[in-house]
Amino acid sequence: MTVEVSSLKELVEQASGTSGSPDTQEYFVNMGPQHPSTHGVLRLVLKLDGERVLRCIPVLGYIHRSIEKISEHMNYMNCVHLTDRMDYLSSIMNNWAVAKAVEEAAGIEVNDRIQYIRTIFAELERIQSHQLWWGVLGMDLGAFTPFLYGIRDREVLNDVMEETIGARLTMNYVLPGGLMADIHPNFVNRVKEFIKYFRPKLDEYDDLLTGNVIIQERLRNVGVLSAQTAVQYGATGPVLRGSGVAFDLRKDHPYGVYDQADFEVPVGTVGDSWDRYWVRVEEMRQSLRIVEQLLDNIPPGDYLVKKLNSKIKLPEGRYYSQLETARGILGVFITSDKKDEPYRLHYRSPNFNNLWCLEPMIKGDYIASLIGAMSSLDLVIPDIDR
Amino acid sequence: MGIVTDKLPGALEKVPGGNVLVTRFDEIINWARANSLWPLTFGTSCCAIEMLMATGGPRHDMARFGAEVARPSPRQADLLILAGTIVKRMAPRLRTLYEQMAEPRYVIATGACTISGGPFIYHSYTTVRGADEIIPVDVYVPGCPPRPEQLFHGLLTLQKMIKEGETIREPGVRRKPVISALPEGVTLEDIQGEMKELLVKENVVDVHQAVDKLKWPSGTNDGS
Ligand code: SF4
Repeated sequence: MTVEVSSLKELVEQASGTSGSPDTQEYFVNMGPQHPSTHGVLRLVLKLDGERVLRCIPVLGYIHRSIEKISEHMNYMNCVHLTDRMDYLSSIMNNWAVAKAVEEAAGIEVNDRIQYIRTIFAELERIQSHQLWWGVLGMDLGAFTPFLYGIRDREVLNDVMEETIGARLTMNYVLPGGLMADIHPNFVNRVKEFIKYFRPKLDEYDDLLTGNVIIQERLRNVGVLSAQTAVQYGATGPVLRGSGVAFDLRKDHPYGVYDQADFEVPVGTVGDSWDRYWVRVEEMRQSLRIVEQLLDNIPPGDYLVKKLNSKIKLPEGRYYSQLETARGILGVFITSDKKDEPYRLHYRSPNFNNLWCLEPMIKGDYIASLIGAMSSLDLVIPDIDR
Repeated sequence: MGIVTDKLPGALEKVPGGNVLVTRFDEIINWARANSLWPLTFGTSCCAIEMLMATGGPRHDMARFGAEVARPSPRQADLLILAGTIVKRMAPRLRTLYEQMAEPRYVIATGACTISGGPFIYHSYTTVRGADEIIPVDVYVPGCPPRPEQLFHGLLTLQKMIKEGETIREPGVRRKPVISALPEGVTLEDIQGEMKELLVKENVVDVHQAVDKLKWPSGTNDGS
C-alpha cells in the first residue's frame, strides 16, 4: 500500500489554482455598507493578505441625496437648511458657512452681537460633536462605557442649546444676515453652569479612556499619517493637526470673533491615531476656554439685519468662503448668475478629503487596526456623499 | 427587573402550593415578542444620531422597553428601525437586509425621509420617496429628526400592535401601518408627570393582590 503525501503548498496551489505563497492568499472583503463601525453607510473594499490590509478602497454613493442639485432650485435662505443634513454634528457651522459666503458676496454687514452668538454656538457644537466622537471611539474599540459617558454629557449641552434653538440635532439657527432667533434669557447662565459641570468631566474622560492601556495600545503607532501625505490628500481639521501641521482657520484666517479670544491650537507629533485622539480631547478644553471668554462680552443689538427678505440676489460671479467645522474646513463655492437662486452651489466637505487618508494610513497594517484608525478620522458619511 | 406595566395575558389560578398560569399560546408568545424586540443597527444619516445613539444613551435608555440589544447582524435582529434617508443605491441593500432578518420581523420608519422623502422630496434624483416603496413598514414616526420620546411612542405603538395582532397560525398577517404621532398639545412636562405618577403608583407590584383582581377574560377559553 502506498500513501500519497502532498505538501501544504501543493494543496493550496491545487485549491486556489495559483502558485502563490502556501501561507496566505490575497482576497477581497467587503466591509459595509451596513456595518456598525463604518458610522453609516460607507463601503470599503479591502484587499487582504491574511490579516494584512493591502488596499482599502472606499466606495461611495450609498447616501448621496443630491443636496447640491436641490440647492440650485432654492433661494439662498433655503439652501441653509439642507446643510444641516450634511454634517449633522456640526450643523450650526454648516449653516454659518453658507451664511458667510452669501454675506461676503452680497456685501451684507452683520453686527457684533450676531458674530459673538455665532461663535459661541459654533464652539458649543464643536464640543458636542467631539463628545459624541469620544463615546463612539470607545464603542468601536469594544468598550461600551465611554459611549454612555459621552452621551450623558452631550444631553446636558443639548438641553442648553435646545432652549434657544428649539431643535436637538438639525439646528437651522444661522441665516444669511443674522440668526433665526435671539438667545434665551437663561442662555448665558446655563452655559456657565455647563462649563462648570463639564470641566471636571473632561478629567474623568482622561481617567476613563486617555490613560487606559488598551486604548493606548490600540491607537499608538496605528494609522500613522505623515504631515506630507496629509497635506497632499487635502486633509483638514483634527486629522491634519494630528499630523503636526498647525493649520486652523480660526487662528490663521480668523472669522467671527475668534480674533478676540485667546486659545491654542493643539497639534500632534507622530500623526498616529493617538495624536488625533489627543488633539480632539484637547480641542474640547480650548473650546470651553473660548466660550468662557466670549460669554460675558456679548454686545447688545439686533439678532437679524433689518429689512432682509428671502430674495437675496448675488451679483454675477464666483464666490468661495470657508470655515472650520468640527471635522475640518468646509468650503462653499457659489456660482451666481444674478438670480436669487445659485447657478451652482458646491461644497468642499472636510470628510471627503479625510476619508482618502485611510488607505495610506492603514496600508500593510492589520485589519483590526483599521477600525480604530477609521474611528480616529471621525467620519460623517452623509457629508462625504451629500 | 423593571416595573411591570402590562398585565400578563391570561390568568393566574391559585392552587395549593403555588399558582398556575392559564393562558393562550398565541398571546404569551406575542407578549414575549413585543417585550424583547432586538433592533438592527441600521442608521444611514442624521436620524441615526437621535434614534440609535441618543436612545441608547443613559438619559433616554431604550433598555426600559426591552429593545436595547442592538445587533449589527440582520440574522439576529427582528426590528428594523429605519433611521435616515434611503437613496436608490442603498435600496437593494435594504431589501436584502430585510429579507435576511429573522421572522417575524417588524419595521419602524423614523423621520420624514423614510416616510416620504422628507426635505429631499423635490428635485432630488436619488432619494427614494418613502421606504414603503421597498419594504413593508409597520409604524411611521414623523419628525426631522423625531425626538427620542417620539421613537418610544412608536415603539410602544408597535408593541401594542404585536400584542393585539398576529397569530402564530397566520404569521406575518398584519394590520395597516400606523402613524405614531404624539397628539397635539401634549408637552414634555405632561409626559414626564404622567410617567412619574405611573412610577410611583406601580412601583410595587404585589402578585397575589394582582391575581385576586384578575378576572377570567371572557372569550379566552374557547378551545384554543
Ligand atoms: S428625516 Fe430629517 S433628520 Fe431624519 S434622515 Fe431625513 S433629513 Fe435627516
